[in-house]
Amino acid sequence: MTFVALLTKELRLRLRRERTIWVLISYLLVMTLLGFLFISRNNPSNGYTVSTLGYGLYTLLVFVQLSLIMFITPAFTTTSINGEKERQTFDLLLCSRLSAFELVAGKLVAGLANAFLLIAASIPLFSLVFFFGGVGPAQVLQTTLVFIVTAIVVGTFGLFCSTLLKRPPVSTAIAYMFCIMWVITPWLLSFLLQLNVPFNNNAQATLIFIGNPILAMISTFTLGPGSPLGSYSFYGTSLAPWITFIIINLLLTIVLLLLSVWLVKPNPIGRLSRLMEKRRPKDKVVATT
Amino acid sequence: MIKIQHIYKSYRKVDALKGLSLQIPQGSIYGLIGPNGAGKTTLIRILAALLTPTRGEVWFDGEEVVRQPALIQRKVGYMPDFFGVYPDLTAVEYLEFYAGIHGIPRKKQASTVNDLLELVDLSSRRDANVETLSRGMKQRLCLARALVHDPEILLLDEPASGLDPRARVELRELMRTLQGMGKTIIISSHILLELAEMCTDIAIIQGGQLVVSGDVEHVTRRIGGGRQIEIRVLERVPETTALLKEIEGINNVTSENGDLLQAEFTGDDRALHSVLARLITEGIPVVSFAPRSSGGRLEEVFMSITEGSSPS
Repeated sequence: MTFVALLTKELRLRLRRERTIWVLISYLLVMTLLGFLFISRNNPSNGYTVSTLGYGLYTLLVFVQLSLIMFITPAFTTTSINGEKERQTFDLLLCSRLSAFELVAGKLVAGLANAFLLIAASIPLFSLVFFFGGVGPAQVLQTTLVFIVTAIVVGTFGLFCSTLLKRPPVSTAIAYMFCIMWVITPWLLSFLLQLNVPFNNNAQATLIFIGNPILAMISTFTLGPGSPLGSYSFYGTSLAPWITFIIINLLLTIVLLLLSVWLVKPNPIGRLSRLMEKRRPKDKVVATT
Repeated sequence: MIKIQHIYKSYRKVDALKGLSLQIPQGSIYGLIGPNGAGKTTLIRILAALLTPTRGEVWFDGEEVVRQPALIQRKVGYMPDFFGVYPDLTAVEYLEFYAGIHGIPRKKQASTVNDLLELVDLSSRRDANVETLSRGMKQRLCLARALVHDPEILLLDEPASGLDPRARVELRELMRTLQGMGKTIIISSHILLELAEMCTDIAIIQGGQLVVSGDVEHVTRRIGGGRQIEIRVLERVPETTALLKEIEGINNVTSENGDLLQAEFTGDDRALHSVLARLITEGIPVVSFAPRSSGGRLEEVFMSITEGSSPS
């Protein structure tokens, strides 16, 4: 009940902002424009078949959408909690019956709803790919899952920054830094450690790239036999990189969410030390006679 | 009855409250007076479960509540010294949101919100954007928000600050209405005249400690040594002065502008009536006989107590 009230208010406020509609329009315009440029430059006269054109368009749209999700989603959550503090409405939320979990979950769901709105709005553009052919429904489903998990991780990290840091500009900057590091660190490390990329039979590279969204997205493409992308093996079960990406990042999301729930209420360190004191076994009292 | 017992609150090296104890009668309008940094807001935030005291106990109707924030949240309505509004919501949506997060069932929300808007006289602005409301209206809306779950205790931190005289009068009337509804109201302020006119009881706090508490007259008498009376006479000023000096309980008789006499008086209203009766009996042509408002007196008391304390 209290969660629904918070979510309703958040969605009302977000959807009433002029910025929301402009973000949506800009998002679709960028995607449409790039798609249009791709089709106009790569036509059958340049040696493209209709299906390769569809495949190429799909690849382009997928990576543009992935970049846009990572670029836009943090903006929906990085000021969720510290923004309330700055607006001086946070105390009023604490005085209500909202639990810490409801507060964090309400803010996260509202922020992610905006990101999912962008993903949903791009569906008509993606459906254009089916007109050309070359891409199967299973691949689209896998890609959509990677989009959704990417939005969830980035959004949750933004929310975590918002609970941890007092100032909205700082939390926004840190969240964007995380996004950049999340994407480029594995590639940078593989370059610095001079790992042999592609990754087949390279245990170190496999581990470094396990949660990387770019690699996960590449793995959703049908790369054919001899693909440089191997699969992860857990106790004899072989998992494609996009599956391990989803598992690892959902675990990370749960950890970030729990940390946010702990940090959102006042005096987290004091509460932790009180909890530790309660858990500490009491000294045994030795009876003296 | 709210009992606050030996409350301490420290922020790193600063002691905001140093063993403060108070008893707040049920149904009273209780004023917390003190200069900036005295610990008023800290005390109010402890009572709202927004802060945990370093030491000490708070009792609501015989139940210790410091470690029971859920109980406090149910019993207490809190209005901070800032508005804290969401500018893109209408007044109705704003109150419905707070009704929702206080667990008011959806079916009851509309009637609760309508009643509250009527109480704070904002029914005509129910669909107005909160941002477009005047400061006084926002203040009344925030008061309605604090009342959304029908709390027994209202905590108002500097509610009159920044309001114009009309808005202050309206707020005062609202306080009286709420008192009539059986609410216990705790108000912090440094606008002493406002508190003196509004409150049934006051506590003066300085440096995190209680200086004095009790009903307004009691506090004024106890610290100021009595109340001031002003007497205007048509003539016979020297005789009146001499007569007043003879009467028990009257001290420091002075005259201003010739016909206006001022005196300090210690005693209750019955004794005050006797003073007037004596003057009339003696044939003194009294034009006006007025005990000065305790608010003005209280301000003097407050200034003398807090002399030398610098605002934070």
